Amino acid sequence: MTSLIMLPAILVDMVGSFIIIVLSFLSLRYAWLLIRKQPENFLWGFLFYFCLTLVCFSVSRAVGHLLKQLLLIADNTEQWHVLAPYSGGFNTLLMISLAAVSIYYHKGIEGFRAIQQKAKSLKEANEQLEVSADKLLKMNANLEEMVEQRTKKLSASEKKFRNFFINSKDMVYFCDSVNRLVNMNTAGLEMLGYTMEDERNLTLQNIFCNEDDLEKYFETLIAVGFVEDLEVEFVRADGSVIYVLLSATAVYDEERNFIGCEGIAKDLTRVRTMMEQLASSEKMASVGQMAAGVAHEINTPLGVILGYSQLMMDDFSPDSEEGQSLQVIERQAKACRKIVADLLKFSRQSESARENIQINEVLEDVLAVTEHSLNMDHIHAHRDFSDNLPAIVGDTEKLRQVFVNFINNAHHAMEEDGGGDIYLSSRYEEESNRVVATVRDTGHGIPEDVVTKIFDPFFTTKSVGKGTGLGLSVSYGIVQEHGGTIEVESPVKGRGGEKIRGTAFHVKLPVTLRESPSVNEDLNLEQF
Amino acid sequence: MNFLKTTHRMSPFLLLMTLTVFPENAWAVQSHGAPEGLYVHQLAHIFYTAAMCYLIWGIRQSAFKSQGWRYLQICCVFMILWNIVAFTGHSLAAFVDSVHFTREGGYLTTRLQGPLTNVKLWFYFTKLDHLFSVPALYFLYLAMKGIYRSSCEEEKE
Repeated sequence: MTSLIMLPAILVDMVGSFIIIVLSFLSLRYAWLLIRKQPENFLWGFLFYFCLTLVCFSVSRAVGHLLKQLLLIADNTEQWHVLAPYSGGFNTLLMISLAAVSIYYHKGIEGFRAIQQKAKSLKEANEQLEVSADKLLKMNANLEEMVEQRTKKLSASEKKFRNFFINSKDMVYFCDSVNRLVNMNTAGLEMLGYTMEDERNLTLQNIFCNEDDLEKYFETLIAVGFVEDLEVEFVRADGSVIYVLLSATAVYDEERNFIGCEGIAKDLTRVRTMMEQLASSEKMASVGQMAAGVAHEINTPLGVILGYSQLMMDDFSPDSEEGQSLQVIERQAKACRKIVADLLKFSRQSESARENIQINEVLEDVLAVTEHSLNMDHIHAHRDFSDNLPAIVGDTEKLRQVFVNFINNAHHAMEEDGGGDIYLSSRYEEESNRVVATVRDTGHGIPEDVVTKIFDPFFTTKSVGKGTGLGLSVSYGIVQEHGGTIEVESPVKGRGGEKIRGTAFHVKLPVTLRESPSVNEDLNLEQF
Repeated sequence: MNFLKTTHRMSPFLLLMTLTVFPENAWAVQSHGAPEGLYVHQLAHIFYTAAMCYLIWGIRQSAFKSQGWRYLQICCVFMILWNIVAFTGHSLAAFVDSVHFTREGGYLTTRLQGPLTNVKLWFYFTKLDHLFSVPALYFLYLAMKGIYRSSCEEEKE
């Protein structure tokens, strides 16, 4: 072979140039689609510019080659020689550009990777943040629910304990470490007679009656941590004393330091009074039984002495020494019999009538008998009777005796002062359905130390021979027999709470009507 | 002292003024001979080849493993080969005097005159450089298509 035909090379050049133009545009199309889909993606941007530069280069080169071939085929060699440097120059320029774009890739990709890394870590952080936020949201919702529930429970509990504190009928108090009352419920303040404003300045020292009790209270509280059922006396605002049953607990802070105490006190004054009255009643009952027994035993020999002395009086002249002695025996025997009769009345061993009585009538009857005598000693009687009082059932005579005894005692108490006033009143006590009759005087009153003994048989403050000490005992027995009670006030408490000199006896009798107006019956069947 | 300081500060301006006054001594614009264009073109091929190598290395470093990026690397390889062939072709055309053509019946009947030495055969071979540039562009097309499709799939996922 001496030569090689260049036609295949020319054809390859022309066909190849054409194919290159087509392929470069197809590539650019995909690069364009990529960049349009994700304009912010650096890689697609790079590929687009890479393809664009390649298209420019390919077109420049292929068109140049095609032009060259066509011009040479058409035998326009001179024209090609004019165009060739431009084609070559463009090709060189575009090759350099393509190379520059390719080199730019590496630096760009570094930046892209850094951004991608950052974006990834940001995405992860964001996801974690979202998870955390979600958890936080759930926790928050849960917490809110819990707080709401707890608040409700706390509110209910607080309400419960506040109601207990406010509505308690017993005293509930809180003290600080220096015995100052921090808080006390209304019942406690009422019990002590203080107001809400007084509460701020109150201390335990103010309300404890005895310092020894307070000392004992604190010693026990500090030593044991609580005080249980301590019976102490409290002083009220007006100076009166009440008996309370006290229980308290020490309060400590987180470091176990004593910071105060909380306590409950129950007013036992009424219970104590009732207990005393009960004890008194029992004493009276036993004394009554004894008196009844003694009276029963004495009454028979007394009757014999009286009978024989009267028989013997028939045998002796009244002026004779024997006759006078017998008169003394008879008189003393009769006195003894009266005492025995009184004892039997006290012990309710005597007959009683049962009839409907208007207490105002009884009081009027008694005053009718005694008023003259009272006036003689400058004692003025005052009446304050309620109208339309319900009738009570009882023995008129015995009740008269009761009020006569009270008036006599009042008379006696005011006699030394040279006069005074006696007040007789009656009223209906609706809540207990009782009629209350009161006899009040302005005398010297009953000393505090003997007031509990006045109903004891044979107890008297009168001089010897002036009283047997059976008057109030008998009255007590009669009123008891009628189902009533006697209350004594000395000194007397006025309507405004002030103390008035004198003594008041309140006879409280139950209202029970009988169908038959006047029927005598024996309350005690035992006769003697 | 002040005079010296002022002179020192003014020296660049004085030099510029001196050169402006005597322009025949300044050769600011250089003339370029005919081979310079070829040298620039050949240097562009070298630069292009280096850029393709760098791109392959960059892609491999970036750890893009999809089919599209692999095609792009093949494209780069073909581009490198094409650059070598083109560079060789330009060199042979410029520096080999022994390559002669005969044209008896027009351009299409052009023949490479013998005796056919290795240089002439290489020259002939370099004229078929599209055998490398067309596959290069074909793989670029495949690469772009592949990258686009995998991007669409990723988006779907």
